[in-house]
Amino acid sequence: MEVRQWRHFDFMLFLSSLLLAGIGIALVYSASHSSILPDTPVRDLPATRQFGFVLVGLLFMALVMTFDYRTFGQIAPRLYVLALAILVAVLFLGTSIYGARRWIDIGPITVEPSEVAKVLMIIVLAKFFSDRKEQMRRFRTILISLVLLAGPIVLIYLEPHFSTVLVFVAIWLAMVVMAGARLTHLGLLALPAAVGAPLAYFVVLHDYMRERLSSFINPAADPLGVGYNALQAEISIGSGGFFGKGFAQGTQSQLHFLRVQSSDFIFSVLGEELGFVGAAVVLTLFLVLLLRGLRVAAVARDDFGRLVAVGVVTMVLFQFFVNVGVNVRLLPATGMPLPLVSQGGSSVVMLFVALGILQNIAMRQRGLEF
Amino acid sequence: MFNRVPRWRVKKRRNIDEETLLRVKFIVFRVVVVAAFLSLLGQVWHLQVVEGTTYQKKAEYNRLRVSPLSAKRGIIYDRGGNILVRNVPSFTVAVVPADLSKEQQPQVAARLGKLLGMPADKVTALIDERRTQQFLFAPVPIQAEVPPEVAFTVRERLSELPGVTVLVEPMRYYPEGELMSHILGYVGRISAEEYDRLKDSGYDLNDELGKMGVEATYEKALRGKPGREQVEVNANGLKLQTIKAWDTTPGQNLVLSIDLDLQRKMMQYLKEGMEDSHFAAAAAMDPRTGEVLATVSIPSYDNNIFSGSVKQDKLAALLKDPWRPLFNYTISGTFPSGSIFKIVTGSAALQEGVAVPGTEIVSTGQISIANQYDPSIVYTFKDWAALGRLDFYKAIAQSSDVYFYYLAGGFRDFKGLGIERLARYAREFGLGGKTGIDLPGEVEGLVPDAIWKDRVKGEPWMTGDTYNMGIGQGDLLVTPIQMLNMVQAVANRGVIRKPQVVRQVVDAEGRAVQSLQDRGMRKIKVSPGNLDIVAEGMRQAVEWGTATLAKIPGVTVAGKTGTAEWGPIDPATGYRPYHGWFVGFAPFDNPEIAIVVFVEKGKGALVATPIAGKILDYYFHREQPVAKGQ
Repeated sequence: MEVRQWRHFDFMLFLSSLLLAGIGIALVYSASHSSILPDTPVRDLPATRQFGFVLVGLLFMALVMTFDYRTFGQIAPRLYVLALAILVAVLFLGTSIYGARRWIDIGPITVEPSEVAKVLMIIVLAKFFSDRKEQMRRFRTILISLVLLAGPIVLIYLEPHFSTVLVFVAIWLAMVVMAGARLTHLGLLALPAAVGAPLAYFVVLHDYMRERLSSFINPAADPLGVGYNALQAEISIGSGGFFGKGFAQGTQSQLHFLRVQSSDFIFSVLGEELGFVGAAVVLTLFLVLLLRGLRVAAVARDDFGRLVAVGVVTMVLFQFFVNVGVNVRLLPATGMPLPLVSQGGSSVVMLFVALGILQNIAMRQRGLEF
Repeated sequence: MFNRVPRWRVKKRRNIDEETLLRVKFIVFRVVVVAAFLSLLGQVWHLQVVEGTTYQKKAEYNRLRVSPLSAKRGIIYDRGGNILVRNVPSFTVAVVPADLSKEQQPQVAARLGKLLGMPADKVTALIDERRTQQFLFAPVPIQAEVPPEVAFTVRERLSELPGVTVLVEPMRYYPEGELMSHILGYVGRISAEEYDRLKDSGYDLNDELGKMGVEATYEKALRGKPGREQVEVNANGLKLQTIKAWDTTPGQNLVLSIDLDLQRKMMQYLKEGMEDSHFAAAAAMDPRTGEVLATVSIPSYDNNIFSGSVKQDKLAALLKDPWRPLFNYTISGTFPSGSIFKIVTGSAALQEGVAVPGTEIVSTGQISIANQYDPSIVYTFKDWAALGRLDFYKAIAQSSDVYFYYLAGGFRDFKGLGIERLARYAREFGLGGKTGIDLPGEVEGLVPDAIWKDRVKGEPWMTGDTYNMGIGQGDLLVTPIQMLNMVQAVANRGVIRKPQVVRQVVDAEGRAVQSLQDRGMRKIKVSPGNLDIVAEGMRQAVEWGTATLAKIPGVTVAGKTGTAEWGPIDPATGYRPYHGWFVGFAPFDNPEIAIVVFVEKGKGALVATPIAGKILDYYFHREQPVAKGQ
C-alpha cells in the first residue's frame, strides 16, 4: 500500500460507519442491561462483546485494505466454492435456534455463514459481470448469473432465512442493472415472477412467513403472537416523542414489551430512548454512508471495483431500509438486522470487511468521477 | 432470439451512450437512496412527533395496570351480637389473557387442566370467551374454591404457567344456612347487566355483589370502598412496583334487629306446626320501634350454595322445587287475608261512626240481598255460625262475618262504610302498598275497589263485593308482612313504620354510623281510643273467642284469627282448603311484640294460632332473654 493512496481514504465513510457502530454498542448496552444477571462480568456483557466485534471488524477492515481489491476478483471462483461450502456446512453442523439453522459454533464464537456469503457473493457476481461486459446485453448472461446466485439462495432458503434471500436478490438486481443488463430482459424475468407470486405465496413461503404477512395487515388479532413485535415496535418508537425517554430509560425496552430488541428491533430502542433526534441522527449517518459508498462506486477505476461497491451499497441500503421500515411499520415483520448497529458479531465484522473493500476501491480510484 | 440486436438500437452510438447511461444510473441510485432516507425519516416524524402523544398513552397502558383491591366486606350480626356471616378465604385460579400468548395457550391450558382436574378444552374455552370480549387484562376465573393444597401447587409452578394467577378472595360463609337465608340473602358474581349499570361506581368485571336479602339492600355499606393500585408490570405481567395506591375502606358491619334465638324457635315451631302444608311464613316485630325480631319463610334454602362458585346441582334442585324455596313468602307471597282484615273494617267503622262498641247486630248465620240490577237474583252471605246477638267486642272475639257484612256494606236500615271508605282505610293500614321493609322482592298486594273492578274485570262493584272485602275475602290480596304491620299499628295505637331487619350500620370499630330507627314513621288516621276498642276485641278473642289457642301463661295476648278460603272444594275432605292466619300482640297492656303467622292451605286458623302461641310463649318465658327492644 502506497502512502499516496491514503489521500483517497474516504474519511466521511469511515467516520459515519464508526459512529453507527458506536451508537450500536451503546444501544446494545441499553437493550440488554435490564435482562442480564447483576453479577455478570463486564467482559461477558453483550455490549462488551459487541465492542470486541467492532474491534475485530476494524482489524479485518485494515487487513482487507492492504491487498489490492482486484486480488479478490482473481480468487472469485474459490470464494464462490467457499460460500457454498459454509452454507452447506451450516445445514449439517449448525445450531438450531427458533427452528432455523443459521449459526455455526466455532469455539467461543458463533458464526453466521450467510453473513459471510453475502460479501463473498458480491465479489463473485462483480467478477462475473465485469468479465462479461460485452455479453451483458445477452439474456443468457443474465440467466447464468441467476444460476450462480441460485446456489447460495437455495441453501439459505433451506435454513430457512428468507430475509437474507431477499438481500441476495436485491444485491443481484442492483449489480445486474449497473453492469448493463437490458431492462427488457429484467422485465421478462419479472413477468413469470409476477405470475408465480400467488403460487409462491402458498408453495415457497413457510407458514411463519405467511403469518407475518397477515399480521402486518392486522397486528392486533393476536397481540402476543406474531403481530406483537410489530405493534410494540410501533408503540416504542412513537412513545419516544421528539427527545425520547432518555438513554436506558425506555419503558417499552427496559420492561421487555419490545422483544429481540438488541437485534432486529434495536431501532425501536433508539426511537424510544433517544426520540426523533436520535433516530434522525442515525438515519442521516446512513444517508452519508450510502452516498459516500455510491461515490466510491462512481470513482472506481474498473468495472469490477464499481460493481463490488454497488453490491456493498445495495446490501447496506436494503438491510437498512427493510430493518427501519419494519420498525416503523412501513413493511411487514421481517427479521433483518440493522447494519453496524444491531447486536451480532458476524454481521458487524463482515460489514467492516465490506467497508474495507470500499475503502480499498476508493484508495485505488482512477480519480475521475462519474 | 434474444441475441438479435433490434434495428432501432443499431443506429445508436454505444460508447457515448454507455457513459451517459452509467451517469444516469448513478443519479437514479442516489435518488433511490435519498428517497429511502426521506420516507423513513418522514415515517419516524409521523410516529414520534405527529402521533407521539397517542403512542405515549399506549406505552403507559402497556406498563401500568390498575388492579382493584377489594375491601373486606362487612360482617352481619344479630341483635345479640351473634355472627351471621363470616369471610373465609377462597382460592381462585385465574388467567390474564393479555399475559398469555395464543401460542402458549394450549400448553398452559393442558398443564393447568391437569393440576385442576378439569379438561384442557374447558380452560381454553373460558379464555377464548374472554378474548372475544376484549377485556384482556381482567383475570378470567378458571376454577373457584380451589383446595388450598392445589392452589399452593399452582403457585409454586407459576413460572411455567404464563398468564396464570392465584387470587385469594374472601368468600361469604353463613353459619346459620337456611335459618337466615331469606333475611341475609347472598352475594354473587356481577352479571353483565349489573356491570353495565355499575361499572362507573367502581365495580369490576369479577366483583361480587349482594344479590338478595340484606346483602343486596345494604350492598353499599357492606362493600366498603374498594381501593386501587397502579402497578408497573413487565411484559410477562409480573408486578415490578406499586406506583400509586388508593386505600380500601373496609365495609361497614350490620347489626340486625333479628333475635337469632327467636328466629330459630319461630322456624322450628312453624315447621312443626304447619303439618303437611307446603309453605308457611311468620314474622314478629317490636311495635315500639318497627324492628323485625324474626321472620321465617318455609321452605327455605341454604344460601351457602351461592358462595364462591355456585353449586349448580343444588341450585337446579331449588329452581325445580314447585314450592319455590328461594321465594320469601313473608314479603313476596300474596293471599286473601280472611278474617284478620276485620281489624281494618272494625277500625274504619269506629272511626267513621258507622259503629260504636255497643252497636248490636244479630247473626242468624246468614244474610241475603237481592241483586241491585235484577232483584229476582238473591245472594246469600253466610256466617261461620249463628252467633246470635253481638256487640263490637263479641263480633271481633267470635269473628262474626255477618256483623262485619253490616259494617262494611250495610244491611237494610244499617248504613255501612261502603267500598270507597273501606278501601281507603285498608290503604291507611298499609295494604295495597309496599311496607318498605329493607329486603328486596317485596310486593304490593291488592286492595280492590269499584274503579279497579271496572278496569280489570269490566264489571260494576256490588254490595256483595263490599261484604266479601269486609271479612277479607274476594279479590283482596295481602302479604304476611303487611298484616304484621297492620296489627302492630293496633298494638302501638296508630303508628306505622317501615319494618326493618337492620338495626344499625356500624363501622369496623363498632361505632354506629347510621341508626335506622324510626325511619318513615307515620300516624294512621284512626284515633288511639278506637284502636283501644279493637285491641280489647282482640284480647277477648284470645281470652274466650276464636283465638284461645294463642293463650299463654302469665302474659295477656291479643289476637285475631283468619281462615281464608282458597281455591275449589277438595273432594277428599268436602271442604274448601283454607289458608290459616293469626295476627296478634303481647303483652296486651304494654305490647312489645307483634306477630303474624301464615300457613298455606290446611285447616286454617286452627293451625296458625297455636304456632303463634308457642312463639310468644318462648319469647316471654325463655331462660336467658337477650336484650329486647331499646
